[in-house]
Amino acid sequence: MLKSLSRAVGAAVRISTITTSTTSRALPLTSPALCAPSSAAVRPFTRSLWMMNNSGASSGYRPKLFSCKTLGPAVSCGCGSLHTEGDKAFGDFLSDEIKEERKIQKSKTLPKMSGGWELEMNGAEVKLVRSVSGEKISVTFNVNNSIPPSFEEEAEQGQQQQKGEEEQDIVSTPNFVVEVTKQEAAKHSLVFDCHFPEDEVSHGEGEEESDIFSIREVSFQPEGDSDWKETSYTLNTDSLDWALYDHLMDFLADRGVDNTFADELMQLSTAVEHQEYIKFLEDLGSFVKCK
Amino acid sequence: MGVVLRNLQKVVPLRRARLRRDVDTLRHILGVQKFDLGVVCVDNRRMQQINNTYRKKDAPTDVLSFPFHEDLRPGKLPCPLHRDELNLGDIFLGVEFLMKQCQEDNLDLHSTLTVVTAHGICHLLGYRHETEEEWTEMFQRESYILGEYNRLTGKHLEPLTKRCSQDS
Repeated sequence: MLKSLSRAVGAAVRISTITTSTTSRALPLTSPALCAPSSAAVRPFTRSLWMMNNSGASSGYRPKLFSCKTLGPAVSCGCGSLHTEGDKAFGDFLSDEIKEERKIQKSKTLPKMSGGWELEMNGAEVKLVRSVSGEKISVTFNVNNSIPPSFEEEAEQGQQQQKGEEEQDIVSTPNFVVEVTKQEAAKHSLVFDCHFPEDEVSHGEGEEESDIFSIREVSFQPEGDSDWKETSYTLNTDSLDWALYDHLMDFLADRGVDNTFADELMQLSTAVEHQEYIKFLEDLGSFVKCK
Repeated sequence: MGVVLRNLQKVVPLRRARLRRDVDTLRHILGVQKFDLGVVCVDNRRMQQINNTYRKKDAPTDVLSFPFHEDLRPGKLPCPLHRDELNLGDIFLGVEFLMKQCQEDNLDLHSTLTVVTAHGICHLLGYRHETEEEWTEMFQRESYILGEYNRLTGKHLEPLTKRCSQDS
């Protein structure tokens, strides 16, 4: 028998405030993005290496961890930068990786959003804009940190690998901000902070119980201002009257932001993320090889 | 807590506020406002999956009810001992399936959702339609609920049991 939805939601509301802040920003193990040292667990280590190499250390002891002698002979190309055997291997690895990623890239062109949305790209940030009878609706999202971590339990990994070595598709599910601006009240826009609940996207064929996307916060913000004004009252949907929440969802649906839109946004974001990843690998390869 | 509404599909555009208002009206008529209720809108693929898992019927359908209190006597409200038991259970609405029916019969989707939800709530309250006696009992209850609903809203809705007595 299905577990009761309304009971499960009661429990989930309490948990969500804790988990969203800690897990949503964590880089996944399966993420194609190269792991920047952003997690708290990595920082102390990198910092301790830096301290060992710091010439200003009071003890005067310097183990010379980063000296060239320990890294193999330097190769010169006349550019004045350091080149090591490690760099060469790194460059070769990147070339192979780029080839592989291009192979699995579904299409060179980005998927189209239905509903007459215009696309504006600025690096990892994507903006979709459309106008409906005097109203401007813009949706902004950033593909950085948009791939949720894999929830596969270690105990299940053996089983998972036996399932024909199928790799689970990486799906980008970024938070997105919807900004609705009315012509006659152009000073302020109504701004919705939306997100894809994690249990919907990560468990695949389970008994998912979350909406495809949900509204997290709503506030009025100065029109076109990229900075979030903290002095504006912000409506948090965690403890909101559900009838009001449904009206807000219907309001967005009337402006083209519904489940279909959210699904297409997910596909677009996944394609952009992959494109940016390949571009990053190419830039990294050029940087390492000094091309 | 009230009604937990979930829209897990993208095939049918839904008005969430209207659906919630209609479900709240039905709860009011039945005097079950203090009980929680889950209403989940799904497409044919998901409905078929659930129907196959729980009823061994590999096809989509209009509505499936999962009562929190099993073996209730029809017409008797549950007597919860704890706050957690103030719960009727969940109703899965096959909105894609229903939309197709509505298009064929030229019916309004949201009115149909109300009729189907009334049918689903009756199941959560212990009503069944496996024997003729049960069918009559359920039909009478649905007729009462929708009669009250029509009186309050000026609509002209009829029970689902009358049209379709073999399923859900």
